[in-house]
Amino acid sequence: MKTAAGRSRGAQVATSLVELCAVRVDKTLYGVPITHILEIVGSSRPQPVPLAPAFVGGLVHYRGDVLTTVSLRQLLGIEPKNGAQDILVLESAAGGCFGLLVDSVGEVLTVSSADYEPNPSTLDERRRALYAGAYKLKEGLLVMLEPDRLDPTRLSASNVGIRE
Amino acid sequence: MDELTREFLIESQEGLDRMERCLTELEERPQDTALLAEIFRSVHTIKGTTGFLGFKRLEKLAHAGENLLGLLREGKLKATPPVITALLELLDALRSILKAIESDGGEGKGEDAALIAQLEKMRTPAQPVPKQPAQEEAPATQTTVIRSQAVRSRKQAPPAAKLAVVPARDAAEAKKKQTKPESAPQPAIAVPQISAPAVEEKMEAATVAPAMGEGEGHKARPLLSAAAESTLRVDVTLLNRMMNLVGELVLTRNQILQATASDPSMTQLSRRLDMVTADLRESVMKARMQPVSNIFSKMPRMVRDLCQALGRRVRLQMEGQETELDKSLLEAIKDPLTHAVRNSLDHGIEPPEARAAAGKDAEGTLKLRASHEGSHVVVEVQDDGAGIDVEKVRRKAIERGAVTAVRSAQLGERELLQLIFLPGLSTAAKVTNVSGRGVGMDVVRTNVERIGGKVEIDSKPGQGTTLRMRIPLTLAIIPALIVRSLDQSFALPQGSLSELVHIPPEQAQREIEWMEEAPLYRLRGRLLPLVFLGGLLKPGADCGLVKQRDNFIAVLDAEGRRFGLVVDGLADPEEIVVKPLSAVLKDIGIYSGATVLGNGELALILDPGSIAMRAGIAMSAKEETANAAEGVEQEQSSRIEYLLVEAAGRPAAVPLGDVLRIEQLPLGRIEYVGYRPVLNFEGQLLPIEDAGGVLGSPDSAAGSGERQIIVVVCRDGNRHVGITVSHVLDVAAGGDLFEAGTRQQAGGVTLLKNRVTGVVNLGGVPPLETASPAQTDWSQPVEAAG
Repeated sequence: MKTAAGRSRGAQVATSLVELCAVRVDKTLYGVPITHILEIVGSSRPQPVPLAPAFVGGLVHYRGDVLTTVSLRQLLGIEPKNGAQDILVLESAAGGCFGLLVDSVGEVLTVSSADYEPNPSTLDERRRALYAGAYKLKEGLLVMLEPDRLDPTRLSASNVGIRE
Repeated sequence: MDELTREFLIESQEGLDRMERCLTELEERPQDTALLAEIFRSVHTIKGTTGFLGFKRLEKLAHAGENLLGLLREGKLKATPPVITALLELLDALRSILKAIESDGGEGKGEDAALIAQLEKMRTPAQPVPKQPAQEEAPATQTTVIRSQAVRSRKQAPPAAKLAVVPARDAAEAKKKQTKPESAPQPAIAVPQISAPAVEEKMEAATVAPAMGEGEGHKARPLLSAAAESTLRVDVTLLNRMMNLVGELVLTRNQILQATASDPSMTQLSRRLDMVTADLRESVMKARMQPVSNIFSKMPRMVRDLCQALGRRVRLQMEGQETELDKSLLEAIKDPLTHAVRNSLDHGIEPPEARAAAGKDAEGTLKLRASHEGSHVVVEVQDDGAGIDVEKVRRKAIERGAVTAVRSAQLGERELLQLIFLPGLSTAAKVTNVSGRGVGMDVVRTNVERIGGKVEIDSKPGQGTTLRMRIPLTLAIIPALIVRSLDQSFALPQGSLSELVHIPPEQAQREIEWMEEAPLYRLRGRLLPLVFLGGLLKPGADCGLVKQRDNFIAVLDAEGRRFGLVVDGLADPEEIVVKPLSAVLKDIGIYSGATVLGNGELALILDPGSIAMRAGIAMSAKEETANAAEGVEQEQSSRIEYLLVEAAGRPAAVPLGDVLRIEQLPLGRIEYVGYRPVLNFEGQLLPIEDAGGVLGSPDSAAGSGERQIIVVVCRDGNRHVGITVSHVLDVAAGGDLFEAGTRQQAGGVTLLKNRVTGVVNLGGVPPLETASPAQTDWSQPVEAAG
C-alpha cells in the first residue's frame, strides 16, 4: 500500500518511516499514525448529545461500551456533514479510547520523516494547536494529526474545540 | 509482590477481621475459650508466616501479642477491658504494617517498642515472677535448632530448619508454660494440661502450613476449613467484566426479542434465550453479592471505641447479617452506615445517668437490621435514645435560613424531621470529634441517593430514632422509562419517577399555567414546577407545549426536589444496562450514563437530581411540594391511600397500593368468556369486574366498539384484576374510622373526603375458572354503613 512517494524515499535507512492512515475531511487530507488506531468503524451515525461541547460528534456503540466521538469537522468549525461518517477508534493517553469522526477513511501511507515540516506560522491558532505538522507528498500535503491532541478530555480542558 | 506475599496479605487481613470480631465478642463473654482460640490462631498464623517471609517488625509484634494471648487462652489471665484495648491496639498496629507491605512491600517505619512493652506489662498480673527477656528472644537460635529437630522427627516435618523455627519456638514456649502450672493460681489448669500438647500440635501444623509453601501447605490445609474446598477467590475485575458481558447479552436479547416479535417460528427460541439470559444475569449478580455482615462486622469495634470515648453504655444488636448486596453497593453504604451509627451514639443514646433518670435501662440498645424488601435491601439503624427534638430542628432550620418561620409552622412533624438531611444542620449543642458538624446526615442522604437508594428517618421523642436506607440490589441494570424529546430517546430511571400525567393536545394550552416565565401545572390542586426537556437540552429552542401533539409530564422526585419533566413522548419501560460516559460528557452534568435500547438505538440516561438543580428547582421546594403526594399520608400516617373512582354514578375506592395502572381503551377490546368480560392485556388474560355496569350488555358492545372505557388494573395477591369505572376522580387518604378490614371478604368502607365510600373488594372478584359472572359487592356496604 506504499505510495510512490513512500517507496522512493522509504528505501533510505537513515530516515525513519511512519505509517499513517489517510483520512479526508472536507478538502484536506489528514494522517493518523496507525499505531494509535484500534479499529475503523465504517459508516455510522452517532447519537447526538445535547448540551455537549461543540466538538463532540455524538455517541456510538462500540464493543459493549459507549464511545464518545470527536467530530473533526465540528472541531475545525466546518459545516457538519449530513449522512453517515466513518469513525477511527483511537487510543487516548488516559488509557481509554474515543472515536474520531471523519468524512472518509483512505489507505495506509508510509511516509518518511524527511518529508516532515512543522506547522507554518501562518496557520490560525486553533489549527496550530490541533495539527502536528505536515508531510509533503507528491500529491499534495498531508496534515499530521496526533491522537493525544484530539482527546476529548484534553480538548475540553484547553477549550480548543469550543466553537462560538 | 510475589504470589506468596499476596496470599499472606489476604489471609492475614481475613484473620485480623476475624480477630476484631472475636475481640469485641470476647468483651461480653470473657470466658469463651473458643473465641480466645480463634484470636490466638489469627495472631499465630501471622507470626508463623512472617518469620518465613522475613517481616521482622510484624513478627516481633505478633510474638508479643501471642505471648499475652497464650496466657489468656490458658486461663492465667482474665480478658479485662484494658487487656482487650491493648489487643485492639495490637490489631491496629498489625493492620497498618500489612497495609505498608501491600503498598510498597516494606514494613514501613514505626516504633512498636511502646506497644510491645504495654503488651508485656499486661502479662504481669498473672505472672508474679517476670520472665527474663533474654530467655525469650536471644537464645532462640541455639535452643530452637535442637528443639526443632525434636519436633521435626515427631511431626515428619520438612527438613528445612528455617521453616521449623517457628513451631519449634512455640513448642518450646508451650513447654515452658506447661512446666509452670504449679505457680499458677488456678488449679483447674491441670485439665487442659493433658490435652494441650495434642491441641497445640495440631493447631501449629495447621497454622504454620501456609508458610511452608506449595508442597507442604496443601497437606495441612484441609484442617483449616472444609468450606475452602468449595469456594474460590475471584478477582473483582473479572466479575465486573462478566457483569458487563451479561449486560451486553441483555441488550442483544432485547434487540432479538424486538426483531423476532412478529415471527412465530422464532418465538420459542427467543423465549428460551430470554430465560437463559435472565438466569445467567441472576447468577452473575449473585456472584457479586456479599453479605451485609462484611460491613456490619466492623461496627462492634467502632461502637465499642465510641462508647468509651463518649461515655455511653450500648448494647449492639445486629440482624439479617446474611442479607446480600452487590459489592459496589456495599462499599457505597459503608460511609452512610458509619455516619448513622456515630449519630445514634453521639446524639441518640444518652449517657447512662441520663437514661437512668429517664427511667430507661442504663444500657442503650443500637439495632442494625438488614432485610430484603422486593428488589431493595433495607438497612435500618435503630436506637432507643432520646430521639430527635423536632423543635430544635425547626429552630436550627430557621436559623440556617433553610425554611421560613411561617413555613415551618405549617410543617408536620415528619416533614420537619426530614429537614435534618439538609447540609449544615446539626442539632448537637456542641461539636465533638465524633459528630455534630452537621455534615453527617447530609452525607448519608447524598451517598445513598447517589446509588439510587432512599433514606427515611423516623423519631419518637424519648423513645429513639430509626434511620432507614433503601438500597437497590444492583446498580448495573436498572428499570427505566424511555422518553422522547428532540426526536431522540432518553432513559429516565424509574426510581425517581413518581407518576405520569398525560396532556391531550386540545388541553395543552389550558392545563399549563405560567407565572411570568415559570411554567406550572396543577397536580391535584397543588402547583408543580415544570421543566421542558426539549428547552433544557436545546436552550433557545421554542419550548412549551406543542398543540398538535400529546404531551407528557413525568413527575419526578429527586434528592428532595419534586418537579414535572415535560417530554414529547413516552416509549415502553425497559430494563437498561448502564454504560459509563466519558468524562467530557459526564461534566455536562445532566446525564448519568448511556444505554443501548432494544431497538439498537443509543439513549442517554437522565439524572433527575441534576436536571432539577440545573433548572433551579430549589431544595426548599421540597417542603412546598413534597406533601402533594406524601402530605396526606404524613398528616395521618396510619391511613391508607385510595384511588377514588366513579362507577355508574357511585363513588368507590381502590387501595392505591394495589393499583398497577389505569388504562383507557376502546370498548371493543373487551372480550367475553361466556358472560364474563375479559381483557387481553399485554398478552395476559385479565378478568374484568364490571360492577358499575360501565360496559353495558355484551350484545350492545359490538356496535359501540369505539367508545372509550377506563379500566383500573389492580393487583390481588398474585393475580391481576381489571375494574371498569366511568371516571377516575382523585387520590385521597381514607379515614381511619372504618379503616379496618378493607381486605375482608365483604369489602370494607372508608371515609374519603368526608364521604363514606365503599372499597372495592379485589379478593371478591372470582377467578376466571368460575364461569358465573361476578356479583358486585362494592357498593353494598356503603348503603349498609351510610
